[in-house]
Amino acid sequence: MRLLVERFPETARDLWTDEDTVEVQLPRDAVVETLRTLRDDPEFGFFMLADAAAVDYGIGHHFEVVYHLFSDRHPAWLRVRVPVERANPRTPSVTSLWTGAMFHEREMYDMMGIVFEGNRDLRRIYMSPDYRSFPQRKDFLLPDDAADSSAAGVNPLERPETWDLTTFSRELTSSAATYPPPDTQVDVPAEAYPHGQESADKSRPA
Amino acid sequence: MALTNDPREAARGRADNEAAQGTALVTSPARIEIPDSAPSDDDLLAPFGMEEHPTGGFHGLLEVIPTKADLVIDLIRANSLWPLLSGLSCCAIEMMSTATSKNDIDRFGMFPFRASPRQADVLIVAGTLTTKMAGPLVRLWEQMPEPKWCVAMGTCTTSGGRFKRSYSVVQGVDRVMPVDVYVPGCPPRPEGLIYGLLKLRELVMARRGQWRTYVDRGPQRVAWEGDVR
Amino acid sequence: MTAVDPETRIPDPIDLDRGEEARLRAAAGLAPPSAAAGSEYAGFELVGVPDRPLQTEREREMYTLEEGEMLLNMGPQHPSTHGVLRLVVKIRGEMVTDLDPVFGYLHRGIEKLCENATYTTVLTYVDPMDYLASMHNEHAPAIAFEKLFGIQAPRRAEYIRALVVELNRVFSHGLMIGFLALDMGGLTPILYSFINRDDVVELLAAISGQRMLFNFFRVGGVNWDVNDEFLSRLGTWHGTVMKSIGDNEKLITENEIFKGRTRGMGILSGKQAIAYGVTGPNLRASGVPFDVRKAHPYSIYDELEFDVITQQSGDVYARYLQRIDEIKQSLHLIDQIMDKMPHGPVQAQVPGIIRPKPGRAYGAVESPRGLYSVYAISDGGPTPYRFRMRDPSFISLQVMPMLMPGHLIADTMAIMASLDPVMGGVDK
Ligand code: SF4
Repeated sequence: MRLLVERFPETARDLWTDEDTVEVQLPRDAVVETLRTLRDDPEFGFFMLADAAAVDYGIGHHFEVVYHLFSDRHPAWLRVRVPVERANPRTPSVTSLWTGAMFHEREMYDMMGIVFEGNRDLRRIYMSPDYRSFPQRKDFLLPDDAADSSAAGVNPLERPETWDLTTFSRELTSSAATYPPPDTQVDVPAEAYPHGQESADKSRPA
Repeated sequence: MALTNDPREAARGRADNEAAQGTALVTSPARIEIPDSAPSDDDLLAPFGMEEHPTGGFHGLLEVIPTKADLVIDLIRANSLWPLLSGLSCCAIEMMSTATSKNDIDRFGMFPFRASPRQADVLIVAGTLTTKMAGPLVRLWEQMPEPKWCVAMGTCTTSGGRFKRSYSVVQGVDRVMPVDVYVPGCPPRPEGLIYGLLKLRELVMARRGQWRTYVDRGPQRVAWEGDVR
Repeated sequence: MTAVDPETRIPDPIDLDRGEEARLRAAAGLAPPSAAAGSEYAGFELVGVPDRPLQTEREREMYTLEEGEMLLNMGPQHPSTHGVLRLVVKIRGEMVTDLDPVFGYLHRGIEKLCENATYTTVLTYVDPMDYLASMHNEHAPAIAFEKLFGIQAPRRAEYIRALVVELNRVFSHGLMIGFLALDMGGLTPILYSFINRDDVVELLAAISGQRMLFNFFRVGGVNWDVNDEFLSRLGTWHGTVMKSIGDNEKLITENEIFKGRTRGMGILSGKQAIAYGVTGPNLRASGVPFDVRKAHPYSIYDELEFDVITQQSGDVYARYLQRIDEIKQSLHLIDQIMDKMPHGPVQAQVPGIIRPKPGRAYGAVESPRGLYSVYAISDGGPTPYRFRMRDPSFISLQVMPMLMPGHLIADTMAIMASLDPVMGGVDK
């Protein structure tokens, strides 16, 4: 910790520590250079990138990219926090230092929409390529219960006629005995499920 | 023989008759359970242009063979269900545990977990179905030859389970394909899965489930469009 | 050659299909099928290439085919991709030239769900992540939350935690050995592995009530103390475990075919492994003695005595040997834990709804696949503000595109199985 203050007097702000972590904030422009020093300088020797995560501090605030580094010379994890503007979520990539940051950055891009400049392979990793929103941002809300979800009312097995207990008891042993229900056509008109489209949009801010 | 409207009675009587005459392929009707809701003989015989005579006998060209052969075929089907080796997530480990030495589903003729959908007739959906995986899974299902059955294993596949609120999980596999047997549990114990598969065997013998749907209506695509979010 | 009467000739099915297609197209008001696509293999050169503009440099490199190359798609439904991983393999003949793993077929949004769940229920949501190491999955968040909340689990609870975690490691490594052999065509080892695994999970079920997703850890302790059934089962299991592991060893370790297919294959050097962020047994098999249990001792690992074993060669065979050695270390640890276990409570006093002070905490454990860590931020409310998990198998799969070029298609599965990914953890 003392070493950090000596070596980076101007860039490192907000030093903070708890029992086994030393935390430091870096500006966006200095991150690659500083991390390179931290990695290569024998005094530091933070040779391993343990984790890279993105945090969203809510609408009106900023994003933050958090790196956790490991060194065999120091008894603590080093946590490096890099604030990123929300309006312009760009930050330099550290794949030049650790190739393994590639998937971390792809994940952050997918989940938070932070663009890493210099990453060769920045595409969606979890969601399908045509997905448009970023699920881990704080303004992406989960459907609060099943009734709100876009699939509400669509399930053909949850139809009212099964509430009739006589038919229901017969169906208990085989849910598919009358599947699809004999009196419904195969092509269900779209207006039968009014929730379907609406709440799909609600739960997914573009 | 008494006049009866109950197909079950009729079937019993018929089987007795045939056993007495020695004409039946399967001569031990006592061991073949014919449940209440078995398809009536009219359904089975209609393709052959036959109908049941009010006195309980049959009139038509292929009197004995179609019904009896179907029973035998059903027996064969029920005792050699070949599941498709398709594990999606955690439940798949319990599914494998069901297949290996301790629980040994081989006892019921179900061991050869086929890797190709073209050789399988039971799809055990073991694990969480996500929206990205829903398309491939439905394609697998459609590649399986008829007759085929589907077992939903785990709460994730029956209803979404602990991921019900998630933005990327299909809340129940029955939204994308028809399901015959639901096995709840997170994960179900191997005994639970075996119980479910034995239930499936009863369905197969009773000709309920997917195969019945197929016989009645012919091959068709069940409605599932518009649901995969 | 006999002349074929055109009336009785059986029509060529392909001709029939063409005719049918033309008829259908005419009925639908579409243009007739184009004659340009008449070649037998028309359209096949594009199989596997995404039907959208390629987005990144790497993607263009991967999906641009040179003369003689083709793409092969493995998964998401494939018997040996360990779940729903999809590998797009670029091959020239039998030789792999490039590889692109595609994830997300099991993405369940666990992080998001955890941010909407209370601290107690988070420990159930993380269970199905790395579903072969559920105990480790719960350990890291428990450590992080205890730091946030400023409490300490009782010592007996820490011992029980270490015990169940090591038991979990034994069966997880055992299964890896079985799957590795299975992917190379040997069916028997997986049967032995599953016998061992079923024993251990029944043991853990006796203490936690669940066979797979144990939900055993609590913030500030564990759910139950060890009970009689657990102890008696543990004794029986301990007597037989070395036999079942030894059976597998006898089948595999000196097997000529196995050695021929694994030695010198998929060599990962220590430097590369660190650059790619590989951790755990895969890293140690490359000769780097990094083990979180020693580097940042958590729980009671600073009181126990064990070695960090390394192998030197870094190939598939070394990764296999590493697993065997770690199983033995874990058994050694289990012995020590049972000897030293103190008496006392197993759960600290915590309120029903935990509201830690605002703060940040990082908890890391050594899972059977490597460094599994949790970064949790609290804003003072009953749910974590941000909950982030770093899964080791997600990161170690990155080396696949680097390891594969120059190997045969059949070796893809062996190399992948030796990295031991679990898709639940990869996709979260
Ligand atoms: S039901 Fe439970 S065990 Fe099965 S896939 Fe879902 S979370 Fe995993």
